[in-house]
Amino acid sequence: MSARTRQPASVSAAGLAPGVRVTRSRRSAIWSGLGAIAVIAVLAYLPYRVYSGTTSLLVNFFILLILASMWNLLAGYTGLVSVGQQAFFGFGSYFVLIGALHGVDPFVGLPIAVVGCAALGLVVWWLLSRLRSGYFAIATWVVASVCYLIIIRYPSLGGGTGEFMPGLPNINIKYLDAYIYWTTLAVTAITLVCVYLVLRSRLGLELTAVRDDETGARSVGVRVGRAQLLVFVIAAAGCGAAGALEVISAPYLQPGPAFSVQWSAEMIFAVLIGGIGTIEGPIIGTIVFFALQQWLAHYGTWYFIVLGLIAISVAIWAPRGIWGLISDRLKLFPVGYWLWPAGQRLGPPEAAVAGEDAEQVT
Amino acid sequence: MPDSSVPALLELDSVSKSFGRVVVAEGLSLTVGEADFVGMVGPNGAGKTSLFGLIAGDISPDAGSIRLGGAQVNRLSSAARCRVGIGRTYQVPRPFGGMTVYENVLVAAQQGGRLRRRASYAFAAEALEVAGLAAEANRPAGTLGLLQRKRLEMARALATRPKLLLLDEVAGGLTDPEVAQLVQIVTSIRAGGVAIIWIEHVVRALTGSVDRLLCLAGGRFVADGGPADVLANPTVREVFLGTEVSTSLPGQSAGGQPDQEQA
Repeated sequence: MSARTRQPASVSAAGLAPGVRVTRSRRSAIWSGLGAIAVIAVLAYLPYRVYSGTTSLLVNFFILLILASMWNLLAGYTGLVSVGQQAFFGFGSYFVLIGALHGVDPFVGLPIAVVGCAALGLVVWWLLSRLRSGYFAIATWVVASVCYLIIIRYPSLGGGTGEFMPGLPNINIKYLDAYIYWTTLAVTAITLVCVYLVLRSRLGLELTAVRDDETGARSVGVRVGRAQLLVFVIAAAGCGAAGALEVISAPYLQPGPAFSVQWSAEMIFAVLIGGIGTIEGPIIGTIVFFALQQWLAHYGTWYFIVLGLIAISVAIWAPRGIWGLISDRLKLFPVGYWLWPAGQRLGPPEAAVAGEDAEQVT
Repeated sequence: MPDSSVPALLELDSVSKSFGRVVVAEGLSLTVGEADFVGMVGPNGAGKTSLFGLIAGDISPDAGSIRLGGAQVNRLSSAARCRVGIGRTYQVPRPFGGMTVYENVLVAAQQGGRLRRRASYAFAAEALEVAGLAAEANRPAGTLGLLQRKRLEMARALATRPKLLLLDEVAGGLTDPEVAQLVQIVTSIRAGGVAIIWIEHVVRALTGSVDRLLCLAGGRFVADGGPADVLANPTVREVFLGTEVSTSLPGQSAGGQPDQEQA
């Protein structure tokens, strides 16, 4: 370094020095990719093997997984703590219902609901973008309540009591359940792939910087407002997809449950338990949430007490969530960058890794 | 150089800012040319960091204008100012702790430096090299010690491809050999044609390197000139009386010390 006399700032950004390479992870991501495909394949095969009660449960699991992944993008990466995502969830359901009442197949209504909720997200962002932290959180809740109040004024949509959604294919209920399950699985897989691709892109690097230090991110030129707008619209679209899937899987739509803050509570719980600010966290958190629900569903009030105690314990002793406890060793979805000095080959770089780990005693 | 027909790199014209009754800038005017190397000293609370905030866009002025290359930047956000060529470091480093050192610099090259993907890879690696951090490229930035964090601040600011670099107390809390290493980095950045304004309490770090020294006190410049003249100025000596001690940041000895250059 001391021998450096050439002009660093005017360096032509032509290319890396000979032998120096940049890859997207230290280890090859191929095993994670194959593993993900295997999991999806097994899940896709399930309707041939299990009763529809199990697939219905998994549909609910996938819906919460989509919601949790979206909330994680919002709060975990851009610091937008929303407790009003049920606005988009509810409207996702109602867009499908409105379509179905006008003769649109609910499965066709799903992508329409996604686009509609993205547009709604733009409008809501325009209203809320100047608010921060607690004010933003409360305002999102207010928006969700306003959405509820708007919907109940329309008797054609069932008003306050609800409406049955027509238009699902008139086939054997067993096949219908399987179709709904496969649709939900596909939408979930697409959502997670989108989250992964977003975080792997240039925007993803910006979002990760904002997650770690918003002021620092601004100071290196990250346009935080623009990143927040994009993520807010993505999250609105994703929650809309979840809402559309909800009404398809349970076609009697009531405004109260559709716009319930319970949805936000569940997605926040799943993200915080699993590990905020990681792709894997919401997946782990949703699994834990559903496991608890299955175990404790018969115990009534105790169920909520246990959930509360777990949330408090994780917040105190494992603030980075369950995934945070293991993520230093393992990354399932590599979204970072790895700089290889000249002469080092891709593969297990024992010396470098050992040296690095030795220094990381914290 | 005010008499030149080409607009100076940075021009402050009667910039004022106060927070309630606390005045941090009182009609400050300053011209910095391309590739100038300016040091800034002043007692605690003189308004040095606030002046950086005004230039970099973290603080908006109550009055006055700030121009970069002749274009008014008053209304630009801090991110936008970074993208037009104002890079800065923070007194207390702000690493993106969950990202690796290389990713920290890469995001700066892609955003502030506005480089496309391939070009940003090379430029970020180059910036790490200049700051002496190449060996730490893949380490999580949150595990760095103080000296390395200061280096990272500089590497990141450099990666935004600034025309003007604002350095805020990069030598604070470091030992003499460490300060010498940082001075060398700053000098090599400067050799690349970047104009630098450098706030420093460790005055000996400035005197050997800068061409011009400013002294700020109570939101006003009390001296401006060659480093030796300014330090000999009676007003400056009075302002500094009893405060010209290099401060030591608490907790500097924690972590990252044994693995410096030689390791």
